[in-house]
Amino acid sequence: MDELEKRVVDLIAEVLVDVNKENIQLDSKIVEDLGAESLDIYDMIALLEDEFGMEITDEEVEKIQTVQDVADFIRAHQQAS
Amino acid sequence: MGMVTCLGSGLDANWEAVTRGRSGIAKITLFDASLFACQIAGEVKDNFDPQKYIPVKEFRRLDRFQQFGLVAAGECIHHAALEYPPANPYRCGVIVGSGIGGLATIERGVEVLRQRGPRHAPPLMITMAVINLCSGLIAIRYGFKGHNTGVVNACSSGTSALGEAFRLVREGRLDVALAGGAEAVVTPLSVAGFGAIRALSTRNDDPTKASRPFDAERDGFVLAEGAGMLLLESFDHARSRGARIYAEIVGYGATDDAFHMVMPDSTGDGAYWAMKLAVEEAGIDPSDIDYINAHGTSTSLNDKIETLAIKRLLGNHAYKVAISSTKSMTGHLIGAAGAVEAIYSIMTINKGLIPPTINLENPDPECDLDYTPNKAARKNVEVAISNSFAFGGQNACLVFKGVA
Repeated sequence: MDELEKRVVDLIAEVLVDVNKENIQLDSKIVEDLGAESLDIYDMIALLEDEFGMEITDEEVEKIQTVQDVADFIRAHQQAS
Repeated sequence: MGMVTCLGSGLDANWEAVTRGRSGIAKITLFDASLFACQIAGEVKDNFDPQKYIPVKEFRRLDRFQQFGLVAAGECIHHAALEYPPANPYRCGVIVGSGIGGLATIERGVEVLRQRGPRHAPPLMITMAVINLCSGLIAIRYGFKGHNTGVVNACSSGTSALGEAFRLVREGRLDVALAGGAEAVVTPLSVAGFGAIRALSTRNDDPTKASRPFDAERDGFVLAEGAGMLLLESFDHARSRGARIYAEIVGYGATDDAFHMVMPDSTGDGAYWAMKLAVEEAGIDPSDIDYINAHGTSTSLNDKIETLAIKRLLGNHAYKVAISSTKSMTGHLIGAAGAVEAIYSIMTINKGLIPPTINLENPDPECDLDYTPNKAARKNVEVAISNSFAFGGQNACLVFKGVA
């Protein structure tokens, strides 16, 4: 995992109180594998937006499934801006 | 029973502090209060250790009043040695009072909304702000699925919550009710707001002397935060599981002044009737009362009018009964006050010790009863009552009795 991916994992671990950080892999599916429910997702989006200074639309959220997707999304955003 | 106040976390720490006459009032540290008329409060400090009851990661998803409530509930369940989730979850309810709820969350939310726009509203703001989510969170944690409600009665909320819970158990609707109050409104808006109606003491240079109920030099109440929770059970339920019973709640009286938004009725009629109804339900004579935990806020009007109401109910016995205002040490926990004070009242029955009213150096001539000035007093207590009176005119009184 690179620095960005580690930051994403830290942030997801902060939101998902029942999940141990060690169990969060890049290919973990956020809903299916990590058990995130709707409040967790909204909480996570708000934290990601604050942490990385960007906006994620609801349409974009629907495309994100895994931890890797989150990191890729942020990377793409950072390169675009 | 379980509690968190500025005097400490937990029942033992609280009882020790409150019987030693220690003040928990100090300069406000939760925000910069240097521009405020009132700069002091009873804040829960670093002795607050919630980790025993709330996983650390869950913290940021809870408002401070919910954290206090959950920690007090955790201690309460532990202290009562109640197994959870209960076998009959729909016979177990949670009734928790709070005056204002997640005000700090709302204040932060408004700031974010103003500065960054609606797109950035904090997603957990609603669950952290609403008052009934303290009782809701406790239900989730302990699996209590019965009657659940948040009671909102300003400064009487804690006593009202216990009274309503008492009724539910007495009427046979619940076997178990976890009840009390939680509050955390040492926030800029609240200190400014209570200050704007001149309700708060401004004795900023001498914080531990600021809350001085019944003293001639009193100049308002001191805002404080925390929570108190009690486990109420039907006698049969408590006996069948071999629970230690600390006291029996035998009466509850609730009235309203129907007089003014924030001023108490100058005749004390509403306060008198709340006590009278509670004593009548208890089936005792006013002369049976050994201890009164007064509302005793340290405001000019409350202390005088409460004294008047006590005299009217107790007659000559008013001069013999032991009274104290523990708010002289804890400050005023608003919606948690009644719950915390119910616990202190029950402890007087169990320990035979009356906490003092500290800072009572020069009594107001209109407050001429025995308020247990400055030093705890030994006394055998069989019947204790606890008063709470609210902005809005809500008066509530509970009667506690020792169990032989």
